[in-house]
Amino acid sequence: MIKVLFFGPVAERVGNSEVAVDFSAGMRLQDLRAQLQAKYPAAFELVCFAAVDGEQVQDMSLLLAEGNEVVFMSKFSGG
Amino acid sequence: MKDAVRIQQQDFSQDEEIVALRASSKRMGGIATFIGCARDFSEGREVTQISFDAYGSMAVAEMKRLRDEAIAKFGLLDARIVHRIGVVGAGDQIVFIAAGAEHRAPALQACQWLIDELKQRVPIWKKEITPQGDAWVTPHP
Repeated sequence: MIKVLFFGPVAERVGNSEVAVDFSAGMRLQDLRAQLQAKYPAAFELVCFAAVDGEQVQDMSLLLAEGNEVVFMSKFSGG
Repeated sequence: MKDAVRIQQQDFSQDEEIVALRASSKRMGGIATFIGCARDFSEGREVTQISFDAYGSMAVAEMKRLRDEAIAKFGLLDARIVHRIGVVGAGDQIVFIAAGAEHRAPALQACQWLIDELKQRVPIWKKEITPQGDAWVTPHP
């Protein structure tokens, strides 16, 4: 299982702050993004960054592992 | 003593933070601080409150990294960063940054660098709560 978290405006558009996605061997970050983007297109219009296990990831071809925590995030607006 | 880098719901005390900063070294000749506050007016609308959401574990890790980088980059003796989350009222404090160095120039430069980098790199989002409804804030360049 992959735990996917959403925050702020992305969570609002998803209607949830957390979803669980079944892990499959060979699954890449871009596969997970595509799967969720198809389900929550309005939310993913805002997504600019992804993080895996708390570290921002640029390489969307990153192979995922069972138990990863993945976050799709919009631009930050703290401070 | 409280951690030098924190996110928290409750308000912070600038005085307590500066006492903690100064306790780290008697060689500190300059301290620069920045406090970000919640404005009661934005984009032509009255703002009554601001609500903050954060990816807490990554936000704290990134803020610690920022502090470490600032200490190395500007030769600081110490630095502190505190950011509130949850709901804050108009006029309330949001974020505190303090940079202490032997001289004023690196302290001032580090303070500006830290708030600029925080806005770019720390996963925190703000929503303005207004009488006309709520709106997530789009970052300014």
